[in-house]
Amino acid sequence: MAANFWTSSHYKQLLDQEEVDVVQPLDREKGITLEDFKIIKMHMANYIGRLAQSVKVRQRVVATAVAYMRRVYTRKSMTEYDPRLVAPTCLYLASKAEESTVQARLLVFYIRKIYLDERYRYEIKDILEMEMKILEALNYYLVVFHPYRALPQLLQDAGMNDVTQICWGLVNDTYKMDLILIHPPHLIALACIYVASVLKDKESTAWFEELRVEMNVVKNIAMEILDFYDSHKMITEERINASMNKLALRQ
Amino acid sequence: MSEVDHLLSKKVADRYLKREVLGEGTYGVVYKAIDTKTGQTVAIKKIRLGKQKEGVNFTALREIKLLKELKDPNIIELIDAFPHKGNLHLVFEFMETDLEAVIRDRNIVLSLSDIKSYLQMTLKGLAFCHKKWVLHRDMKPNNLLIGSRGQLKLADFGLARIFGSPDRRFTHQVFARWYRAPELLFGAKAYGPAVDVWAAACIFAELLLRRPFLQGNSDIDQLGKIFAAFGTPKPSQWPDIKYLPDYVEYQYVPGQPLRQLFPMASDDALDLLSKMFTYDPKARISALQALEHRYFSSGPPPTEPALLPRPPPKKESLNSKVSDFNIHEGPTVLSPPRKSRRVMPNHEGFEGNEYQLDDAKEGRPAARERTEHVPMPLDFSVFGSRPPTRPTINSADRSHLKRKLDLEFQLPEEEDEE
Repeated sequence: MAANFWTSSHYKQLLDQEEVDVVQPLDREKGITLEDFKIIKMHMANYIGRLAQSVKVRQRVVATAVAYMRRVYTRKSMTEYDPRLVAPTCLYLASKAEESTVQARLLVFYIRKIYLDERYRYEIKDILEMEMKILEALNYYLVVFHPYRALPQLLQDAGMNDVTQICWGLVNDTYKMDLILIHPPHLIALACIYVASVLKDKESTAWFEELRVEMNVVKNIAMEILDFYDSHKMITEERINASMNKLALRQ
Repeated sequence: MSEVDHLLSKKVADRYLKREVLGEGTYGVVYKAIDTKTGQTVAIKKIRLGKQKEGVNFTALREIKLLKELKDPNIIELIDAFPHKGNLHLVFEFMETDLEAVIRDRNIVLSLSDIKSYLQMTLKGLAFCHKKWVLHRDMKPNNLLIGSRGQLKLADFGLARIFGSPDRRFTHQVFARWYRAPELLFGAKAYGPAVDVWAAACIFAELLLRRPFLQGNSDIDQLGKIFAAFGTPKPSQWPDIKYLPDYVEYQYVPGQPLRQLFPMASDDALDLLSKMFTYDPKARISALQALEHRYFSSGPPPTEPALLPRPPPKKESLNSKVSDFNIHEGPTVLSPPRKSRRVMPNHEGFEGNEYQLDDAKEGRPAARERTEHVPMPLDFSVFGSRPPTRPTINSADRSHLKRKLDLEFQLPEEEDEE
């Protein structure tokens, strides 16, 4: 973890779970429940990931884009900010902010390849317009810290380099949840290491005890991750569609 | 409110009362404005949307991203940002002048205390950036702005980067050449805060000499100038030099004693300078260490910022003759063509200026931005008399937008807040 996280805007913007789990009034009117809200955000995180794979950007860009998208929906409704436009725009903005710019026309091209559905179809001008709105919604705070940076050092220190791959995958999956809005990234990294060590029967108690971190928080995050994997099995394509259908059709 | 004022004052985004245009840079127009909420004078950069349909200018975005994280008395404050008519506007605190204007003003005498004060503020801003893992990468006197109470602030973060990840590769095409550290000139891609310290050393030297210290006219020549001053680096001085991408062996030349180059400086000043000019970036003093150097604790103490000598505020009225601008400048105008290029007055007949060529790829401002013409009390002959050609960054992504003292005219006396 970079030494400056504690003075960053990211740290200052961390929220409580209850603050993140607020469905905006306009969305509630459409019958969107908290569960729908979470499912749509997860679906959009996946969408960002798929788009990113097509345009070939680093995982860090994906992570930043998802964090932007999740931050937007702590302040704006999905009714006014269509997730199907917000998701690619967040990727567009994140690619610039993370110094690996992706052209808007390339995104538009892959959006069409991934989704035949008309409702996903947006043009360059839509993305550029939304970019400005997202910047505003983010209050122009663009720096996001991620668990990835701390991961290799922590694993090295714990002598658990052999679970690197699993940990990396676990960290990727945390972006299907709101953890990045709630917890400091290094604690998310630790939680992923904890899950991996339990999964692989690694003895890590001593190492964790030596770290001066709040182990309760780490364990809670780990529990949330495991809960997510449990509930994730139930989320079918139909369930996602049902949630998405509650959003208004585009005019 | 007079008619002229009325024409100049236009509300943007409810809160800001637009005043005169200050200049124009690579990514848009800068104008002065009054923040009606605080009564504060601000400078607003209007970010032109790129013609490539690539949304918010990348360089502008970088600057926003970093300045939102960097709040420090010695770093320019990004007060606000807002979209207006499809353009993004950035609101900065208004700064009166910059260090380059101070250095080149022949009527100003800089005492050792004054120099110490300017260097201290520069290093404080830099140390803060580095603490936050941000490299400025474009340190030079005209990016060090000076506020109404003499505070010096680092500005122009369009080239700045976060250097958190240990093995990230960066472009070495950063900094104006005269301020470029030797590792960059040898093509280093993995570099750190030491590059900013080298540039700060160049600025320190420039404060002492009152002219740019190492004025190379090509990258090779720049290295030549560096070696001529400090001697060709020996392997013992800089063990890793041979691993740098563009490293070539130079014929050995001996350096000159610093005392000879800077006859007026104190021993402590020279000691700090030599530590900031250390060849090996690993051995070069950090900005934080430099601030703890005894140069700053030994006498004379640094001048209070408010008491620092600064160029007199420009007194020209709106419609004054074009020619009074340059009258009190001495014959040695160091105003670089570079600077004149970055801040373009909205002035007809200036369009075809040769110095604009470099920025052609950024495109001319849209015609609609040209409608805000105001008469400018300017003497363009200054661009004709050749000061030493200040080199430019030849990297594609440059941000060069600056309020510019020289283009400023008097603020209307009464401020009408509609």
